[in-house]
Amino acid sequence: MSRSRPMQRTSSASNSSSSSTSPERGADDDNDSFMLQANDSQSSLGMDMSPDMSDEYARREYEERCRVSPVHRLPAELLISIFSRLTANSDLQSCLLVSKEWARNSVGLLWHRPAMSRWESIHNVVQSIRKADKFFAYQDLVKRLNMSTLANSVSDGTLVGMTACKRVERLTLTNCTKLTDLALQPLVDGNRSLLALDVTGLDQLTDRTMMTVADHCLRLQGLNVTGCKKLTDASIAAVAKNCRHLKRLKFNNCIQLTDASILTVADHSTHLLEIDLYGLQNLESPAITALLTSCTHLREMRLAHCSRINDSAFTDIPSSPGHQKMFESLRILDLTDCNELGDRGVEKIIQTCPRLRNLILAKCRQITDRAVFAITKLGKNLHYIHLGHCARITDLSVEALAKACNRIRYIDLACCVNLTDNSVTKLAGLPKLKRIGLVKCSTITDRSIYALAMGEVKNGRRINGVSVLERVHLSYCTLLTLDGIHVLLNNCPKLTHLSLTGVQAFLRDELLAFCREAPPEFNDHQRDVFCVFSGTGVGRLREFLNQQKAHAAAAAAEREAEGEGSLGGNSETGSEMGDAEDGDAVHVNVHGNHAAGATPVVFAPGWQHHGGHHGHQHHNSFDNAAGAAVAGSSVLSQSAPASTPMFWSNAPAGLGLAGFAGLAGFGSAAGSPAGGGGGGGGAQQVTGMMGAAVLDDVDEGDEAFGEGSEIMGDGD
Amino acid sequence: MATEGDQLVKLESSDHVIIDTDRKTAERSMLIKNMIEDLGSPGEEPIPIMNVSETVLRKVIDWCTHHKNDPPPSAEDDADSRKKTTDIEDWDQKFMQVDQEMLFEIILAANYMDIKALLDVGCKTVANMIKGKSPEEIRKTFNIQNDFTPEEEDQIRRENEWAEDR
Repeated sequence: MSRSRPMQRTSSASNSSSSSTSPERGADDDNDSFMLQANDSQSSLGMDMSPDMSDEYARREYEERCRVSPVHRLPAELLISIFSRLTANSDLQSCLLVSKEWARNSVGLLWHRPAMSRWESIHNVVQSIRKADKFFAYQDLVKRLNMSTLANSVSDGTLVGMTACKRVERLTLTNCTKLTDLALQPLVDGNRSLLALDVTGLDQLTDRTMMTVADHCLRLQGLNVTGCKKLTDASIAAVAKNCRHLKRLKFNNCIQLTDASILTVADHSTHLLEIDLYGLQNLESPAITALLTSCTHLREMRLAHCSRINDSAFTDIPSSPGHQKMFESLRILDLTDCNELGDRGVEKIIQTCPRLRNLILAKCRQITDRAVFAITKLGKNLHYIHLGHCARITDLSVEALAKACNRIRYIDLACCVNLTDNSVTKLAGLPKLKRIGLVKCSTITDRSIYALAMGEVKNGRRINGVSVLERVHLSYCTLLTLDGIHVLLNNCPKLTHLSLTGVQAFLRDELLAFCREAPPEFNDHQRDVFCVFSGTGVGRLREFLNQQKAHAAAAAAEREAEGEGSLGGNSETGSEMGDAEDGDAVHVNVHGNHAAGATPVVFAPGWQHHGGHHGHQHHNSFDNAAGAAVAGSSVLSQSAPASTPMFWSNAPAGLGLAGFAGLAGFGSAAGSPAGGGGGGGGAQQVTGMMGAAVLDDVDEGDEAFGEGSEIMGDGD
Repeated sequence: MATEGDQLVKLESSDHVIIDTDRKTAERSMLIKNMIEDLGSPGEEPIPIMNVSETVLRKVIDWCTHHKNDPPPSAEDDADSRKKTTDIEDWDQKFMQVDQEMLFEIILAANYMDIKALLDVGCKTVANMIKGKSPEEIRKTFNIQNDFTPEEEDQIRRENEWAEDR
C-alpha cells in the first residue's frame, strides 16, 4: 500500500510547485467527482495514487480509512485551502509533521514566503535549501523572497545561499545596500518566474544584473530600481524591449537615465500602468510626450524634480484637427518642482487628462490663476491638489476651485502668500476635506480657523454632520491665536495632526508639553519654534484647553459671587473650583510640576485673551487677570466673527468639556514637565520668528511635502 | 406576488430523494444557478445533485436558506488578507457543530455545488481545529496515523525549524 512506499523526493517536487494546474494526480476511480477536480499542483507532490488503487481491495481500504478518519475524504486542494487559513508558520509547521499527506499539502504554503527577518531563520532556510538530501525541493517552493527587514546587514554571502531558488516571483531587497551584482546576477539568472523586483537603494548594482533580468525574467511586471545610480540606458532599454508585460516602473534617482531609455519604454511597454521618474534631471519633454501618447493605460505618472520638463511635454501631444488625444486613464500626475512648467502646460494637461484625481504642482512657481482656473474643469474628479509654493495664485482662482471641485479631500497651499481668509473660508466648506496645508499663508487669521471648524455651513449650521478634518497644517500662520484653535479642536473630533510651528501664541511651555518631539536633525532655533501636535497630543491639547476654560469660568463665577476677588487669592480659589468640577488635574498642574526655582505656570482667567501681545511673557495675562476675569466664561468666543455661532455655552463646563470624553487621562498627561523642564516661564516665546527663515526648507519637508508618500496611498 | 426567487426548485440527492426548495435559496449554489440558467427556468424535472446524499443536502439547504439574502461577495472578499482570518459568525459556528464525518461532507458538498461562502466557513472551521495544536494533538483530533519514520520526522523538523518562531 502506498504508505509503505518511500516518499518521492526532490525530483517529483520540482515539477509540482509551479502555480499552473497540473492534473497529474493519479486516477482513483472509487472516488467521486470532487476528487476529479483535484488538480492542484501540490497534490502531485509524491502522491502515490497508483493504479492498484482501482482494484476492489484498495477501494475497501480507502473507505475504511475514511471511516476511521473522515478528514481523508478531503482532496488535496481542499486540504490546501484549509491550510492556507493558518497565519502562523508554527501552525503550518505542525501540519507538516502530522503525516506524509499533510506534509505534501502544507510544505508549499510554508515555503511560499520563508521567514527572512531573523538571522537564525535565514541560516536554517539557506541550510535546508543547500542540503543535498532534503525531504522536499524547498528551493522551488519559494515564491516570495523579502530581505528588507534586515536591509543593510544583508550581504552577498547571505543571498548567494538562495541562488538555487529559480521560481521566485517577488524579490524584495529594499535598502539591502550591501548587495552587489555578485549575489544578485546569479539569483535572477535562469529565473523565468519573476514578476516583481524591488532593489530600491542598491546603489552598487550595475547593468550586469539588469541585463540578466532582461534576458531571463521575461514575465517581469514590476521593477523598482529607485536609487540604483549605476544603471544606464543600456540595461533599462533592454528590459523594456524584452519584458513585454511591464506594468509598474520606478526609476527614481537613476540619475544616468536619459530620454533614450524612456523613449524605449514608451515604444515597448504599452501595458504600463505606473511610472515614477522622480529626479531624472536629464529627461526632456519629448520622452514625456511619448510616454503619454503610447502608454494609454497609464494611471499614474510621477515626474517630480524632472526639472527640464516644460510645457511642450504636454502641448506637443499630437492632435489631429477636431480630434484631441485623450488620456482617460491617468489619475495621478506629480509635477513637483517642474519649474519650467507654466499655465499653457497645465491647461493642456487638464484638457487631455480629464479624469485626474491627484494633481501635484508644488513648486511649479510659474503657474498663475490661469492654471488654477483650468484645474477647476476637473470638477468632481479632483480629490487631491498640491499647489504649495505656487505663490502667484490668488483668492480669485482658489475660491473658484473650492466651488467647482467639491470632492477635494486634500489641498496644500503652503506659501501661497497672496491667499487670504476668503480662500480658506470657501475651502472650509468642502464636505470631504480631510487635510489642508496652509503653512506660511501668513495673512490668514482666526476667521479661517473658525470656518474650518464649522465646515460647510448653511443658515448658521453645519450641514454635513461631524467634521472629517484630520490634518491641519498652520505653521507660520503668525496671526493665529488660541481662541481659533480651541474652537477647531472642539469641533473636529477626527483631528490627528495640527502643526503650529512658529506661531507665537502656541510657543508656551504649558502647551508645548503636548507637542511631539522635534526631528533629531533640527538645530536649536528650529527646536525653539517647533510646534506640532499629533496623535494623542491633539486630544491632550484639547483636554488641556477645555480644562483651562472650565477653570477660568469657575474662577470667574467664584469671583462674581464674592465680588471682585483679590488677585492674590485667584489661583487658589480657581483650583478649588476646578477640583469640584473635574478632579484635581488642574491643581496638580499648577503646583506639582515645576523644578525648584522655575516659575510655576499659572493660568489666570483671561489668559487666552492676549492676541496682540504674543511676544511678551505670559505673566502679562496674570497681571491683567483681575480685569479680564470679569469678562467671565465667554471670553474665548469673543473674537469670533459675529456670523460664527457660539461654540461655547455660558455654562462653566462648556460644550468642549461635554462633547469629548477622555478627561480622566488628563492628569497624567499634564504631569509631564512643561517644555522639557527648561528655563521655565515664557522663555521659549521670545525666540520669535528668527528661526523661520532658516527653517524654511527643513520645515517644508515636514509640513508641505513630507506627506507625499502617505498621500499617494490615500487614493485607491 | 411570486417572484422569480420564489419559484419551486426540486433537487435530487445521490440517494434519489427529492427535496423542494425555492430558487433563491438553491441559487446560492453556482452549480445549480448555472444549470437553471442553462435551462432557462427551474423546470419540472428535479435537478440531480449526484455527489450529495440526502442528509448532507438537507443540511446544505438549511445553510443556504439562512444565507439566501446575503449580499454577493465583493472583490475585496477574495483578497488574501480576508482569506486568512478565521472569524466565523455565530450562526455559522453553531451550524458547523457537527461530527467530523458531516463536517467534511459539508465541505465536499460546498465544493461540488460551488457555494463559496459555505466552503469558506467549512475551511475556517477546520483551520480553527488545527490552530495552536502540536502535530500529535492534530493527529489525535483527526484520527490520523503518523506514517513518518522517526528519522523522517526528525529530518523534516530540522529542515523547517525556521518556522517555529512567530
